[in-house]
Amino acid sequence: MGRIWKLLIVASTYLFLYVPIIVLLVFSFNTEGFPSPWKGFTWHWYGELLHSTHLWQAFLNSLIVAICATSLSLIIGVLLIFYAAQGGRTGKFLSLFYGNLVIPETVLAVALLSFFTLISIPLGLTTLIVAHTVLGLGFVIPMAYARFLEIDLRLTEASLVLGASPAQTFFKVTLPLLRPALIATALLVFIISFDDFILSYFVAGSTAQTLSLYILSMLRSGVSPVVNALSAVLLVLSSFLVLVFFSLKSRTRIF
Amino acid sequence: MKSKTTSHIPFTLGLPAIIWQIVFFYLPLLFIIVSSILKVSESGMIQGITLKKIFLFLSPVYLGVIGSSLLLALSNATLCLLIGYPIAYFLSFTSSRFKSFFLFLLIVPFWTNFLLHVYAWFFVLEKEGFLNNLLRFLGIIDQPIHFLNSLFAIMVMMVYYYLPFMILPIYSSLERLDRRLIEASLDLGGSWSHTFRRILLPLTLSGVRGGFFLVYIPSFAEFAIPELMGGDKQMFVGSVVSHYILGEQTGSLGAAFTVVSSIALLISVVVLFLLINKIMKRVRA
Repeated sequence: MGRIWKLLIVASTYLFLYVPIIVLLVFSFNTEGFPSPWKGFTWHWYGELLHSTHLWQAFLNSLIVAICATSLSLIIGVLLIFYAAQGGRTGKFLSLFYGNLVIPETVLAVALLSFFTLISIPLGLTTLIVAHTVLGLGFVIPMAYARFLEIDLRLTEASLVLGASPAQTFFKVTLPLLRPALIATALLVFIISFDDFILSYFVAGSTAQTLSLYILSMLRSGVSPVVNALSAVLLVLSSFLVLVFFSLKSRTRIF
Repeated sequence: MKSKTTSHIPFTLGLPAIIWQIVFFYLPLLFIIVSSILKVSESGMIQGITLKKIFLFLSPVYLGVIGSSLLLALSNATLCLLIGYPIAYFLSFTSSRFKSFFLFLLIVPFWTNFLLHVYAWFFVLEKEGFLNNLLRFLGIIDQPIHFLNSLFAIMVMMVYYYLPFMILPIYSSLERLDRRLIEASLDLGGSWSHTFRRILLPLTLSGVRGGFFLVYIPSFAEFAIPELMGGDKQMFVGSVVSHYILGEQTGSLGAAFTVVSSIALLISVVVLFLLINKIMKRVRA
């Protein structure tokens, strides 16, 4: 009995997860817009998607923000871990970053927006990058640090004893050992920034539209099959990224 | 032995991250806390300390909003736990060939823009949508049901979006569990429920607790799902905050309400934490 129940729960959960997605994908090929039932097959909406300049501008903005936030949080995060782990006073500084993932994103967004307004930084791509980097640090520090602790200390010591400088040791020994974990972390931070909605909604201002904000404006103005086509493209993209993430075998846990 | 040679790695390397964190995380949080109790004149001069803004939000209307957000978060986290635990269990105990495939299927939606999922659920729940058509086709209903703009639509979307946040921590705590303990318990005559209560649940408690709060905390401040799926019929903390903070002159009110509701959230987290411990003790006994 237990077996059947288990299968039933699992099957219905996966149906629950995938039925909306499949319906969405099917209707991206429908000749008529929603709410018309299935009329016929077309690539039309994908063509329209290609020619939508607003959308690609938003896509580009999201890409810029995600790439900048990922690299920034990764670089400064790894530098701190490098210092903290080798200096011996580890927990002291790293625990500063645990709050980033614990507080609701809405609260962080409100605080950052008020703060940017106070020191009169104009809202736009810069503020988006700053905010997403804060979020990114919340992932980079614990994830990279966990992997850092697994490194055999004797390897770095051997390198130092044999005359390599700390910088050489870092670039030739530590960094290569960390690489899979860092790439996995970078992928995660990238996708979180790229898909982020809450922070972007508050700190983007009126000039910089990210992909999430563009999709929101489309949702509010009424449904169009172009969004279905966009979903299909983004699903393929994220499937690819998940595959890369899996193939790294970095043993990095998402949570 | 920590070698001395490594200790001269300069502190300046670690500084950028620390400065970034202090300036863009702690300072803004401190700022909204301070600004919610500051009395500021119309010209922007600070005139002293006042609790007026805080007390404004202790009125029944706003406490009601906080209450419904707490309820929303609690029901979402509970539903996700009830659905998520069996899924995590299945994922962890399934044969390894299919394991990564099922994990893959779980993570792909999680890594895709969540507004697209909201959009997908429009398709399913619309008057002429998939669910109504299916139910009519099966002859269960004659007239289409209005699923959208309801508490039901909000809950469906909340569970849909937050489920992976529950499954993944439980999954990783199950992965770390020594399987022989379960076998031993069953072999030695323990019943399934006994094994679950005495071994499985206590040993995966960290995952359960982690997942629970990973769902509970952001659900509390969620504003996009209630607005898009609920048609703004019901007010939640997130919608009130975003309304005030993005309004023309009401920014400081938004900050004050954020502070008040964060305190409520914090208290509720502590209470829930103690409650979970208490329930665990009862379950184990």
